[in-house]
Amino acid sequence: MTASTATETGAAIVKLEDVHLSFGQTEVLKGIDLTINKGDAVSIIGPSGSGKSTILRCINALVTPQSGKITVAGTRVDQLTKESERIQLRKRVGIVFQQYNLFPHLTVLDNIVLAPTKILGADRTATVKLARELLEKVRLSEKADAYPGQLSGGQQQRVAIARALAMKPELVLFDEVTSALDPETVGEVLWVIRDLIRDGMTSILVTHEMRFAEEISDTVVFTENGRIVDHGSPQQIFHTTDNPRIRQFVGGLSGGGRGAVRDGEGI
Amino acid sequence: MQDMNLTGLFIDLMGRLGLNYEFLATGYEAQIWRDGFITTLYLVAVTIPVSLIVGLIFAACLTSGRLWLSAPVRGFVELTRNTPTLVQLMFSFLVLNTVVSNMLGGAQNNPLSPFFWVVAVVGLHVAALHAEAIRGGIEAVPSSMIEAARGMGFSQFEILRYVQIPLAFRASLPAIVNGLISLVKSTTVGNAIAVSEITYASIMVWTQRDNVVELMIVLLAFFSLINFVVARVGSWVERRLAIPGYGL
Ligand SMILES: Nc1ncnc2c1ncn2[C@@H]1O[C@H](COP(=O)(O)OP(=O)(O)OP(=O)(O)O)[C@@H](O)[C@H]1O
Ligand SMILES: [Mg+2]
Repeated sequence: MTASTATETGAAIVKLEDVHLSFGQTEVLKGIDLTINKGDAVSIIGPSGSGKSTILRCINALVTPQSGKITVAGTRVDQLTKESERIQLRKRVGIVFQQYNLFPHLTVLDNIVLAPTKILGADRTATVKLARELLEKVRLSEKADAYPGQLSGGQQQRVAIARALAMKPELVLFDEVTSALDPETVGEVLWVIRDLIRDGMTSILVTHEMRFAEEISDTVVFTENGRIVDHGSPQQIFHTTDNPRIRQFVGGLSGGGRGAVRDGEGI
Repeated sequence: MQDMNLTGLFIDLMGRLGLNYEFLATGYEAQIWRDGFITTLYLVAVTIPVSLIVGLIFAACLTSGRLWLSAPVRGFVELTRNTPTLVQLMFSFLVLNTVVSNMLGGAQNNPLSPFFWVVAVVGLHVAALHAEAIRGGIEAVPSSMIEAARGMGFSQFEILRYVQIPLAFRASLPAIVNGLISLVKSTTVGNAIAVSEITYASIMVWTQRDNVVELMIVLLAFFSLINFVVARVGSWVERRLAIPGYGL
């Protein structure tokens, strides 16, 4: 907690240095260097299988790389040896996935309240109040008592974001959170994320929504084949880059339309 | 006195139908029989929670991913599933119970009663069935949901406790109710080691009175009634736990 609260806007909150990770024989990350400052919004784009999700999982200590340094909010993640230490980190780093993964047997409100009360030991009354505020923020106040199965995909994903925020994380990771949604509901989720970023939440987004990435990102990172090929401002990556692969990828996406992109994604 | 009159009326009425319930008017045999019902109900009431709690623990061990927890339970589940409950009971009572007695320096120091052994053997046997059903439910929880919970900072045990078991219990409820129905029937193995549950008590009475048919009618009605109640409670719980909008 101490190191993290000391992190000021502009200071590095996430730092990956020469991170290598293999699953068995397959080398998935081949030396990732990435620095993200507090308060920044960073988008990670790149072809399927290039290691985008794996980067997020490293930051959240869901997977452990074979070598390299990872520092997140003052914690050397690569040096955590005990599961209990990784759990401590995960409580501070929110992550939202493509498949919302709400707990189907709990109401929307209880989905949000469960983790803070059970694993942070937060007071229930205060957490319920916070949960209602978050539901208002994601514009779902009237769904507090509904079950996930009664909500649309976009609504479920907004609850999932509220659920992550209820842990009061220091940064939030979004892994293709709109990829499973109907085109009509993508907007309502992006709207929530945009709000969050405007409020100054440090956010790392893996996304195929190029226009959105361009609009909200401070930095865009392009990954291919386990490496960061290039990174820079949205203007650089989307418009002025010389890299033919990036031009092809970005151009292909805007030309091919969302449908074509989504067919190519692994789930 | 009211009671005596009712009993008398019943005996008289049944007598006209050709059914002999005269022993109910006697003190001793009527007492044995009544105690038999109570013992069976008591057995059922104790063994059901034992089977559920142990079944849950077994399922947790089976899905723990830790060999030292899962292997012994797997071995026990296979053994108990594939051998007759009666044989297990006799083995437990004749072998294990004797071992315990010897260890404690004589049967008089052994606190374990035949009743205990019926609860243990039938309870664990049905627990093994529950465990298999619950394990199926635990493994059916999508790995992406587990990863999401891990990502929020839930420990493996907390995921089991707050996510997997609530979902697995709902999914396996029909199988659990079947297990409980067979548990109720299995309590009758107690008569093999002289636990005076209702079948044991009935045998005592009908060897004296030669009224097998009369007692059988009541016996069958009694077990049907218990299992009717078990099934009704089961579907009530199922309805209570049903998740709106969820395909279970
Ligand atoms: N648990 C795992 N075990 C083995 N291989 C894995 C595992 N997770 C990911 N991989 C492999 O690692 C590579 C990178 O996966 P990752 O999920 O990071 O890609 P991605 O860039 O997020 O792709 P997508 O856009 O399809 O989500 C892929 O080739 C994938 O098959
Ligand atoms: Mg991915």
